[in-house]
Amino acid sequence: MEWQSALGSAKLCLPPCHVIRDLLSTGVCVRCIFRLSGIRDRDCYISSINESELISFLEEQNEIEYNSTTSTSCCVCLGVLCPSCVVPEKPGADLRETSSVNELALLISDVVKGEQYRIDEFSLEVSLPPVITANERALRLYLKQKYEKEQWFKDSFLCDHMSVKDTLKLVLNASLEKYLAVQNVETLSSSFRIRLTYSHSETSQMLQSMLPNGRDSKKRERGSKENGSSKNCNESDASAFRVLELIEDQNFCTQFQVPPGKVDKPCQLVVACYRTPTYIGGRYLKYSRNVSQSRWIIDDERMGETSVEEIIGENVRQICQGDGYKFHSAGREDIDVRMLGSGRPFLVEVPNSRIMPSSTEIKQISDKINHTDKKLVGVKNLKFVGAEAWDLMREGEAEKQKQYAALVWISRPLEDDDVCNLTSLKDMDISQKTPIRVLHRRSPLERSKVIHWMKIEKVEGTTQYFLLHLCTQAGTYIKEFVHGDLGRTHPSIGSILGCRAEILQLDVTDVKMDYFN
Amino acid sequence: MAENAERSEVTLYKPSPKSIEREKQAMEEEPKEDLSSLLLPNLNDLPQNPPTAVEFNFSRYFLPDFTKPGHDQYIYRHANGLCVIGLAEAHVALKEEGGVTAVDFNVGKSDRSELKVTGKRKRNAQHFESNSALCKVCTNGNFYIVRCCVKGSLLEVNDRLIKQPGLLNSSADREGYVAIIMPKQGDWLKIKDSLLSYEDYVKLRGLL
Repeated sequence: MEWQSALGSAKLCLPPCHVIRDLLSTGVCVRCIFRLSGIRDRDCYISSINESELISFLEEQNEIEYNSTTSTSCCVCLGVLCPSCVVPEKPGADLRETSSVNELALLISDVVKGEQYRIDEFSLEVSLPPVITANERALRLYLKQKYEKEQWFKDSFLCDHMSVKDTLKLVLNASLEKYLAVQNVETLSSSFRIRLTYSHSETSQMLQSMLPNGRDSKKRERGSKENGSSKNCNESDASAFRVLELIEDQNFCTQFQVPPGKVDKPCQLVVACYRTPTYIGGRYLKYSRNVSQSRWIIDDERMGETSVEEIIGENVRQICQGDGYKFHSAGREDIDVRMLGSGRPFLVEVPNSRIMPSSTEIKQISDKINHTDKKLVGVKNLKFVGAEAWDLMREGEAEKQKQYAALVWISRPLEDDDVCNLTSLKDMDISQKTPIRVLHRRSPLERSKVIHWMKIEKVEGTTQYFLLHLCTQAGTYIKEFVHGDLGRTHPSIGSILGCRAEILQLDVTDVKMDYFN
Repeated sequence: MAENAERSEVTLYKPSPKSIEREKQAMEEEPKEDLSSLLLPNLNDLPQNPPTAVEFNFSRYFLPDFTKPGHDQYIYRHANGLCVIGLAEAHVALKEEGGVTAVDFNVGKSDRSELKVTGKRKRNAQHFESNSALCKVCTNGNFYIVRCCVKGSLLEVNDRLIKQPGLLNSSADREGYVAIIMPKQGDWLKIKDSLLSYEDYVKLRGLL
């Protein structure tokens, strides 16, 4: 009985015996009594001390007599710390009652293993109904009213103690660590979270009706119609906490039962686990002129053969065993434009991935994408990144420079003067009205862009075709810069050379960005 | 190509199967270093006269004698539904001695060049009927009214024509376009079948 030695030294925190007897008969559980007395020693909580054991311990010390009470749930913590709670094994199935820390820990670890998560740490999230806060307050007021004049009573009593949440975590973490075979991470910094949501409909409804806030009752009505969706519960919980904070002790005593009433049933518990989104980033190349960047479907018909998003997203999702994928990239190119050279930075966000991919597994994703039969898309520098990668990608997007290679035809032979002309233009300003091909879905604006430099590569065997290499400001419409978009982009290659210019092919050859390299 | 295609054919010129094969080979060997060879086109794929941006991206329709004899106009319809309106090759104004000398958008109840359409939804665009006037085109001694041809919202007029009316003489089919109109799907379908294709228009007017 290790608790006896632990309790021996903590005994000084406890109030006198007649108070403990009072608390026990009011319906407060042993752990709450320890907690409210300010005992923080883990050993006092770890082993389950029941009422009769505590009484006999105290009797040994002080020769008191006590008649044990009926078995009800704690009127303060509503059974959370006992720990007893009622858990639906599966949604809609029978409820199961737990009665020990071990049982609860086993139950939780079964849920985690059932979902087949591969974890190396976890964080515990606990959500308790606001009525527990009200219960604590009611108990404190009761004790103050009754024992204020007694010598042992200090105003600081019942004010500096562990909360129900913290005590539960203290009690549960050791067992969970054992069953899950991994470490607990105190603050919510692990990506893997186990969420314990406790609710107690009986007393919560009483609390809602007691609170003077008219808004709450309306919410409750609406809430009951929707069968108490979790969002509604959260809203009403939050407002209940707010009202409790504002209400004064005097008013509180008139509205709420002091001390808190006895409770038959313990809380209901829902155990859920999830992982915060996993991010995999890198650069992609698009070799095909028939693959769109994102899934593109018009009138139930797909445009193009497939999409970069689907090829990369699905492969990442599969290996991470996630619920889905979201594809983000630094800009995009048309379906008929290839993405070559450095590749374009992208990020795949996988919600609730069952595993955190190792570098071997990431290489697997990379190989799978790069070694398909049809070489449509490729990836480079694929790696696991943090959530800040999203902001990094968006940062300064407008300043980024892009490099292209365009196959241009002009209506007359190319002269050496033309080459000099175009090559000499540095940081040239152009004005582009919203291209007609996107005017149906974008604002009609005139946008000013910069062409940083241009280089001509002659094509052997032709005089009217050439490769135009150019470096431009992000957001420049290259096709329109070549053919002029009926004069709505000026200057254009055609207007500079004084002839008609057409673009036949376009490739992106470089997307200059500092990271994902 | 894009002629008479209602689906967006954004693709530029497609290379032949041979050059696709060559590209594949280049990529299999050294995907990183062969950027330059990937970029070079195969000479056999390059036509002497490639299709123009207009031919490629729009379906061209023609309305000969619209409301008056000789008032030939065109509608270039993009796959996204937008219609570019302009004077067709055989419009009488373009045949006059000295050609077009001035363009005035102040016709009907408002100056069409003053409109300001904003936002993705193009909320404050003015709605016009197919025979609403867009502008007045002046020549030496005559003037001609250019009309919308299709019912819809007026998104833009080519205000470059005010300072450079000569654009109509040099390139009425491109930089000399008059306006851009956004018709509703239903309004477009109503007039579509009464329009001539480029080939039929050329035959009718004996051009080329």
